[in-house]
Amino acid sequence: MDRNWIIRSTWFYNVNPALKFGVIAALFIVGLFIHNLNTMIWLTGCFFVSYLLFTGLAKMISFWLLFTAFILAILSSTTMIFFGKGDHVLFQWHFLIISEESLARGLHIGLRTFLYTVIGMLFATTTRPVQFFYSLMQQIKCPPKYAYGFLAAFRMLPIMYEEFYTIRAAMKVRGMDRKKGIKARYTKIKRYAIALLSQSIRRAQRTAVAMEAKRFSETSGRTYYYIMTYSRYDLVFIITIAGLVAAAFWLSVAFPFTPYTNVLE
Amino acid sequence: MMSLINKGFGVENLRLAFPKQKEMLLKDLTCHYKKGEKILLLGPSGCGKSTLMKVLCGLIPQSIEVPMKADNMSIPDKWGYVFQDPDSQFCMSYVDEEIAFVLENQQIPQNDMPALIDKYLKAVGLDLENSHMLIQELSGGMKQRLATASALALDPDVLFLDEPTAMLDPEGTRDLWETVRQITHGKTVVVVEHKIDHILDFIDRIILFNENGEIITDGPADDILTNYQKQLKEYGIWYPGVWEGRYGETDMAIDPLEQAEQRVYMKLDHFTVYRKKRPKVSIPELSIGRGEWVTIIGENGAGKSTLLEGMMDLLKYKGEKRWFVENDETKVSFVFQNPEFQFVTDRVSEELGFSLNVKNMDPDKIEKKVKAELIRFSLNKQKDQHPYQLSTGQKRRLSVASTLIEEPTVILLDEPTFGQDAKNTFELLELFEGFRKKGAAIVMVTHEMEIVHRFATRAIRLANGNIDEDKLTARGRRQVDGEDGYGQKLDHSQHMVL
Repeated sequence: MDRNWIIRSTWFYNVNPALKFGVIAALFIVGLFIHNLNTMIWLTGCFFVSYLLFTGLAKMISFWLLFTAFILAILSSTTMIFFGKGDHVLFQWHFLIISEESLARGLHIGLRTFLYTVIGMLFATTTRPVQFFYSLMQQIKCPPKYAYGFLAAFRMLPIMYEEFYTIRAAMKVRGMDRKKGIKARYTKIKRYAIALLSQSIRRAQRTAVAMEAKRFSETSGRTYYYIMTYSRYDLVFIITIAGLVAAAFWLSVAFPFTPYTNVLE
Repeated sequence: MMSLINKGFGVENLRLAFPKQKEMLLKDLTCHYKKGEKILLLGPSGCGKSTLMKVLCGLIPQSIEVPMKADNMSIPDKWGYVFQDPDSQFCMSYVDEEIAFVLENQQIPQNDMPALIDKYLKAVGLDLENSHMLIQELSGGMKQRLATASALALDPDVLFLDEPTAMLDPEGTRDLWETVRQITHGKTVVVVEHKIDHILDFIDRIILFNENGEIITDGPADDILTNYQKQLKEYGIWYPGVWEGRYGETDMAIDPLEQAEQRVYMKLDHFTVYRKKRPKVSIPELSIGRGEWVTIIGENGAGKSTLLEGMMDLLKYKGEKRWFVENDETKVSFVFQNPEFQFVTDRVSEELGFSLNVKNMDPDKIEKKVKAELIRFSLNKQKDQHPYQLSTGQKRRLSVASTLIEEPTVILLDEPTFGQDAKNTFELLELFEGFRKKGAAIVMVTHEMEIVHRFATRAIRLANGNIDEDKLTARGRRQVDGEDGYGQKLDHSQHMVL
């Protein structure tokens, strides 16, 4: 994440990134097998709160990302709510049918979308790319050419961003805006693509040569500037995540909000 | 092989051709150099000197696959390379990480890294408070010094410098060479460079190439500078005294405008331009008139480009801006620093006709006009090529030509001679002068003081977003006083509304 976006550091930053990645991936899989709406509600709630507690992201950016996640969740739930099958019809208008069952399923899908986004953000906003790739190389023996390839690509993003604005200004000056119509719009998009891609491809090629000039090679072993190891934070992290999941399961039985324990039925 | 070892490093009878090119770039070329030599490879752009340097260090064919053959080759074991483009030679985001990357590649223990990083940064004069700093936030000159530091981190016997200052302003150029001079004591250095005034005192040998990639001479620097002036001039090399060689000791004479008439073309009143929502430049009052050549000078970050972009409506501004021209969309034009961004078609000839096409001009007229411009800008041979395939000089000419084909009354230029060789620079300047004579106003951001002294009629120095100085140059004073026949004083307080 960009340095300007991250405003504080929490102990989640100290967790080994490769391990964090593994645990988060496992959570995604667990999420797939939850069909109890109550569990889903509690799980989403638990992780939403822990995201708010542990993220280092600036508040406004955090808000807009969550807002986007919320919109996505609503969109994915409506497809199920409006057109799902069910016996207890609540509302019908032409081809729109809302039933109790479809409402439950829709909510479930919407929550899952939101849950996944929040978990993903929890990882992305508490992990520095450099440390993540260094950890991948050291903990799971990811080949350096991929790790540094990604890192070099990260470096190019802000450059491309600036380039985009320059190209937009240049197009305006050349009078691209004076041309109207669908064809003009098509040629404009094509110009942006050619200009951005050609610059990026050449830059990538030059960077690759420069990296080899700095004796980067696949064959030799290498030392690391950042040594990534496991620490007690990792244990705390695993216990926290496991605790959150267990709590969600227990709460869903102890305090169920809805009667739907299996949305597939 | 024996002969080469005695002579140091080098290559014998090198033959090299880029794929899909009919002609060989380098043919039977032999080049030797010894330890401790400081060598400058000189020649016209595209003559293959940069390619030769990549062969000498082994980047070709190991990293860049180009078909080549040589009878004998001897490549140094330890070498470092500094490339031309400051933005494409780093793979990490932070300064310390970039040097660490080089150390990691050599398997230097992690414990030793922080001290070494500090050492190399100090050596190139990058005294950062905290070396964990975003590379993106460095200036071009600092980036090139970082590139030099990472080359030093390889502990090289031979240092290859491939036009390291091509994308730097005069200050960055001077500082970089100062650094290179300090760190290369006793080291072997091979340099390719067009701007040579700053390096002559530490170079002891020059190899001069012609446009066919053949070595025409090879010897002590002083001899070549005195005996091969003609070639240096022809190849567009920025040798010391190149301006005097072309234009003599004084500034340009100022002929009367073709039609004597006074008019203010643009007026700014309490004009503030914003970049990223912050005010970057504030101009209380400024007017620019017919036949003026205004240069905007000042340090990096003073707001020169911002001012131009504000004038062109490319950035948000507050205050008043008025154009007194027929049509401010077509009669005011802007040439960007990087010509490639401005290309909007796939063929040189289409590129030239584009803005006329937008205006729905009669196709026959467009064709005639494009033909004339192709010849005027010496792009006729390239008329069916893709703009991206042109050489640096040709690209610049095309971007200027395609903007000027509309015959603008005000021409805004953002460092138009940046990265150009001497020959191209002079051609461009003379072209702008031609437009000025016809009555156009030229507003140009530049770092080159020779342009300010020789061509400009007025110089505005910006500092921290404010006008520090706004003066007529000697040439401008003559224009106002009418010594050269201009006849009338240009009065900036008056303005005419069309």
